[in-house]
This record gives sequence, structure tokens and C-alpha cells, in this order.
Amino acid sequence: MDDTASAVFPQKIHWESHGTSRIPFMAYTEADLHRQELERFFYRNHWSYVGLEAEIPAVGDFKRTVVGERSVIMVRDAEDSISVVENVCAHRGMQFCRERHGNRKEGGFTCPYHQWNYTLAGDLQGVPFRRGVKQDGKVNGGMPADFKPAEHGLNKLKVARRGGVVFAAFDPEVESLEDFMGPEILGYFDRLFNGRKLTILGYNRQRIPGNWKLMQENIKDPYHPGLLHTWFVTFGLWRADNKSELKMDRHHRHAAMISTRGASGKADQVTQVSSFKESMQLNDPRFLDIVPEPWWGGPTAVMMTLFPSVILQQQVNSVSTRHIQPSGPGAFDFVWTHFGFEDDTEEMTQRRLRQANLFGPAGFVSADDGEVIELSQKGFEQKPFHRTLAELGGREVGDTDHMVTETLIRGMYEYWRKVMEA
Amino acid sequence: MSELQWTDAAAVDDVPADDVIAVLVGGNEVALYSVEGNVYATDNICTHGHARLCEGFLEGHEIECPLHQGKFDVRSGKPTCAPVTEAIRSYPVKIEGGRVFLSLG
Repeated sequence: MDDTASAVFPQKIHWESHGTSRIPFMAYTEADLHRQELERFFYRNHWSYVGLEAEIPAVGDFKRTVVGERSVIMVRDAEDSISVVENVCAHRGMQFCRERHGNRKEGGFTCPYHQWNYTLAGDLQGVPFRRGVKQDGKVNGGMPADFKPAEHGLNKLKVARRGGVVFAAFDPEVESLEDFMGPEILGYFDRLFNGRKLTILGYNRQRIPGNWKLMQENIKDPYHPGLLHTWFVTFGLWRADNKSELKMDRHHRHAAMISTRGASGKADQVTQVSSFKESMQLNDPRFLDIVPEPWWGGPTAVMMTLFPSVILQQQVNSVSTRHIQPSGPGAFDFVWTHFGFEDDTEEMTQRRLRQANLFGPAGFVSADDGEVIELSQKGFEQKPFHRTLAELGGREVGDTDHMVTETLIRGMYEYWRKVMEA
Repeated sequence: MSELQWTDAAAVDDVPADDVIAVLVGGNEVALYSVEGNVYATDNICTHGHARLCEGFLEGHEIECPLHQGKFDVRSGKPTCAPVTEAIRSYPVKIEGGRVFLSLG
């Protein structure tokens, strides 16, 4: 498209071809498209990540989170099962839960406005003055006689759990979590979440002023890490010539970037890789005290994108989930949960914690993806008639055995167009 | 075993048949219930939502809290319906000379 196009602000999104190697900037900036995405990707037909079982180990433990832009509560209910309910009171629509985490074993959830009271699973159990108020021998007011608490519970989401990870869906007709992921991606999911109990090591949270899809694309883009994240190259964590594979589900919406570090072991990482700054040494080499683990089965890094809501990361000994929480077309919250495994030694826990310093807005990643996403969004907003280019490795979509391609981004937009243009 | 100490709480006639009132005894609110001619006594504040049981609804031996419809058995103080899970304290009662006496322990 010509930069001198007559309309800087076109009425409608325009794709240059039937392919997806050129993505219109308007896919990232338009409020009506954003609402359509929420409807079609987050609220219908898709599972969204809500958390880890280990975050709510005891009956009554809860965590407030979101599905798309809808506030929900993941809670361990009285049956020791996990419920996910929408954080909107049945009475006056209040987002009644304000704490991020807590325990409500005693008494369930109570909306502060009029104290409507719900069980942990979301059933309405008490309505103040339901039978009216006694005064001078007569009863005043109260709810109508035909008021049925059973009809006014919290909105309950469908829940799926696998390997200690919890997903939720507003759509009762959603396919099984396993079918949603597909066998290839499920294999990598099970590699990471192989049944061992998880332990929570901590959280990072950042607000990124960019479109939520850019985070999915960032983890579907093996082109950038070796160029943007110079620290990773210097210390051999990510190189374009590492042995690697890119794999997708059959819809091309989910993906795994699988990479095997060329040189492993303590002494090699600063001496045997060619890098931008070969002589550079860490003051504290423990940050790269990488110890291979049996469950890796070869790859040293597997970055999974589960569309639309989450990234599952293994970068050497650091493992985390990264939850994408949209907030309008131009921003999202990015919530990282760093975890470990119950059978980790204290030494391994410390190692995972130290390696968590490699990532995130204050990490060694240099520079953080949040910064470039912000600048991409600014570029999109200034000339919405334009488009991005994602043609590395060709214009088609398919799995590869190398990193020098943007095929996963093209795949995601192939799916995006199929759903959004239906 | 020492004798129970009895405290005068109200006149029997103050407690309407099959209903509940609250009285102040020794600085605490106590609910008095009249069921089938017998008088029972419990604390007046619900163990769940800080509401007054005397403003609730007595049905047989069960008092229903006006706030969240939790229920207690007025004879034992035991919870009989969610959301209440914790028993409410109940007090021994004796009737003498038209007065209701409680043992506050």
C-alpha cells in the first residue's frame, strides 16, 4: 500500500490479499474489532487460562483474575473442587470482590453493597431482609414470595484442569481442553505439567500500552530474540542457529517454539559461544547456573502460546505462565506466575528464582518486549491505513525445523481472519 | 459441682408465644424464644453476618437470621442451615414465679 493513500483513517480494515503476511495496523487499534475479538476468542469457543491449582491450595482460597476483560474468581470450593465464577453480584451488578487473593472458607462471598451472600461455588444463599423487617408486630417489605435464590446465583464458568493448570470458559459448548489444544501442543503442555505438584514462587505484573495480540505475536516470533535481546545472545541462551522447531495446532492458533541450546553446562556458556560481546562475564555466574532436568527430554527452551490468553514458558530452569489480560485495544496487563515443582530441592528452587531475573520488565532480557510492543502500538496509531510485514521465511504457513521465519504469526492471523471474517 | 448462678432476664409474659425478643442481661444481648410454651435463650448476634436474631423469623424450634437466612436450633444453638456453620451460644433457662432466669455460666 502507498503511504500517500488518500485516507489516513479508513472506514474499514483492509487486507492486501487473502494471505496474512501483511497485517493491517487497524487490527490492533479499532475498538469495534477489539470487542468482536473478545466475543469470538475470549467469550466463545475458547478456553482461557485463569491460574494454577497451587495458588488456591485450601478450601475457601480464591484468586481474582480475568477471562478476556471480564473479572472472575477462581476458588477452591467446599467440595475441594475448583470453581470459577464471574465477579458480578446478581443483585446490582457490583464487582464485589476487590482483593487479588484471599480465603472465604467462613461464610462464602458477600457483596459489600447489600450483603448478598454466595457459597464458594457461586450459589446465592442469603439475601438481607428477604422476608422483610419486623416492626411493631408487622413485617415490612422483603422480596416477593416467588423470589427463588436458586435463580440468582453468580455466573458460573465451565472449568477444565490439567496438570495443575486451570482454564475457564463462559461458553458451555466449548470443546474439551484437550481438543482445544490439539495433540501436538498437548504433548508440550504435558511435558511441562507432567503431574508433579506445582509450587508458587512469585509474580510479576506489568501494564503494557499495546494491543494484546502483540504479546502472542512476540512469542510466535523467533526472529527477534537474538536481535532485540542481546543479553541472551551474549550468554548463549537464544541463538538463531540453535537446533530448533516451530510447531502449531491444526488451526495454527497455538504454537510451540522449541529450542536446544548449543552448549550446555556451567563453564561453556561464556566461552564457547560466539556472541556480540564475547569477553563479557557475569559478576555472579549463578544466574546462568543451568542444570538440565530429566523432564526436558532435550530442548532447553520451549515457549508455548495458547491462543488467546496465555504463554507457557520454559527457558532453561525458569518456568512460568504469562497471562494476557486485555484492557481495550491499546493496552493489556501481563501477569507472570513463576512456579516450581514440589520435588525441587531447595537448591533448584533458588536456581529457578535466580533465573527468573532473566525475564520481565526488570530482567536481564534487554530490552523487554513490553517496550517494543508499546512502540509498535504507537506506530499503528499514527497511520492506521498501513500494515505490518511478516514475510520472513515466505508468505505461507507451516511447521518448520528452524527459527528464521515468521510463520507462526502468519498462522495466527490465518486463524484470526477465519474467525473474525466468518 | 457448684450450683448454677441464675440471673433474672425477663417476665415470662414478655416473651410472646412462638416468637422472639431480645433482652439485655449482664451487658449482653440475649434472644429469648417461646416455643410451644417453653422458653429458650441464645446469644442474639448471629455467628455469620453480625445480625440480630430477634429481628429474624422463628419457625418451630428454628430461628432464621434476617440477614442471610442462616438458621439455628434455639434449643441447642446448633446451626441447621447454611451459610451459618458455627453454633451460637445457648443458655440454660428456668422459670420461677413468672420470671425467666438464665444461667450465664
